[in-house]
Amino acid sequence: MAVIFLVEDDQKIRTELTKLLKKYGYECDSSDDFANIVEIILKRKPQLVLLDLNLPVCDGFCICRELRRRSHIPIIVVTSRDSETDELVSMDLGADDFITKPYNTQILLAHITAVLKRTNPQKVPGTVNYRGLEVDFAKSSANGPEGSTELTKNELKILGLFFSARGRIVTRDEIMNTLWQSDEFVDDNTLTVNINRLRRKLESIGVRDYLVTKRGQGYRI
Amino acid sequence: MKLKAFLWDHISSLTASVLAAVFAFEFFCALCNEVYAGAYLAAIILLAEAVALTLEYLKKRGFYRSVTQSLDKLDKKYLLAEVLKEPSFEEGKLLYEALRESEKSMNDEIAKYRQKSQEYREYIETWVHEIKTPISASRLILENNPGEISSGLEEEIDKIGDFVEQALFYSRSESVEKDYLIRETTLHKLVASALKKHASLLIGAKAAVHADGLDRTVFTDIKWTDFILGQLLANSVKYRNGPLRIRFFGEELKNGCALTVSDNGIGIPEQDLPRVFDKGFTGENGRRGAKSTGLGLYLCKKLCNKMGLGLSICSKPGAGTAITIIFPKSNMTASLTKL
Repeated sequence: MAVIFLVEDDQKIRTELTKLLKKYGYECDSSDDFANIVEIILKRKPQLVLLDLNLPVCDGFCICRELRRRSHIPIIVVTSRDSETDELVSMDLGADDFITKPYNTQILLAHITAVLKRTNPQKVPGTVNYRGLEVDFAKSSANGPEGSTELTKNELKILGLFFSARGRIVTRDEIMNTLWQSDEFVDDNTLTVNINRLRRKLESIGVRDYLVTKRGQGYRI
Repeated sequence: MKLKAFLWDHISSLTASVLAAVFAFEFFCALCNEVYAGAYLAAIILLAEAVALTLEYLKKRGFYRSVTQSLDKLDKKYLLAEVLKEPSFEEGKLLYEALRESEKSMNDEIAKYRQKSQEYREYIETWVHEIKTPISASRLILENNPGEISSGLEEEIDKIGDFVEQALFYSRSESVEKDYLIRETTLHKLVASALKKHASLLIGAKAAVHADGLDRTVFTDIKWTDFILGQLLANSVKYRNGPLRIRFFGEELKNGCALTVSDNGIGIPEQDLPRVFDKGFTGENGRRGAKSTGLGLYLCKKLCNKMGLGLSICSKPGAGTAITIIFPKSNMTASLTKL
């Protein structure tokens, strides 16, 4: 499980972000000791650092520079200062990505997955098993008791979302938002087609009644 | 300066000379009966006056003509004293000094207001920056506590976020400084980023999105364009008419690239169309249905003007609205592409 270190001085955002990222299967770590934050991060060895720019003691740029000088930990800079220069300076200092507040959570999650995938490909799970269905994300295929089938990019994304939700009900809007964040701007009808095709594919490999419809709410696996 | 007006101004000295001439003539006639001598003297007096007036007229005409001509040509009229040459005659010098003084005081005044508006703008930027932290925190709290109340509040928080962003861009659009950064990007990247940012809003409105011909390179400020596209998308959602369809269409023009965003919304009445980019104009749609601030399209136009992009609208009530952004391709950008 990937550990994300939050460098953020707002207590509220820290706790809520931790809760949210836990829901999507990440571990979170943070600290109040901003004077020694670089040492702390290096000691805890997270897989990713979410770095706010506006901080007490010394600002995010200086932490970014110091971290980059001493390690290759991927850094996503998160800031409410909405200016091009901040983005350029962050990238210059070696940050891997840049997001502005207030962010859409789906955008944040999409950026986190993208950066993690790029920086530690081995950490991203190759195959995931859940209730009798095995999905190979690297080969984009699904294995069931009665055989295996190829999955399209959209189907893979949808299953990925259900796996990270772990039994929680996922709304249609949430699925669409996740697809939109990976450049697939599907509409309501397309989503229905995608879900139905996915169900048929799963049935063909012997995985039945996997995606359960919760009327008026969404789906659950 | 008209000759007639000049002579009228010198009526007293003219009258005095004429009187002096008449008196001299009368004097010689009556006293010594010398008609010729009297006439000669009178003629000399009048001639001297005429020469003096002509010289003065020419001198003044030169100066005042340069005053009126410069005033016509100048864009900022208060800078007049800057372009004038100091005249050689006393009256002109007085005027010249007065103009210089008033220009200086005008400049001081402008500097004062510029400073004030700069300070205000900085305050707005900081305020917008500060308010984003509580907005982010609220969003996360709502996301972590799903439910009916939360989803209702989430929509309202999104609206607050949009208004805050509008305030930021309003203050940026008013400032005289060039604080944008033109970079190379593609229509596809611009559209995708705007769609992702407004995904919740569009998905909530059950929007179907189509895109065509977006694989084109343009030069623009990415954040500003993102804001403009966001305003257009928000309008499409606000003024929708049944199931929303949005189409993005990119095409190559002779001197640039055009991006058209069209929807199948309620459209804009013909009489309102010429004024949709005016500040505070809400029109029939604004009065009837959704609340309108009359700021969205005004800001789009203003930001486009600042960046040198074209923005045009065409609409048919009941059929929809299409807005086209034109990204010019100058020789400079063409040479940049080659590099």
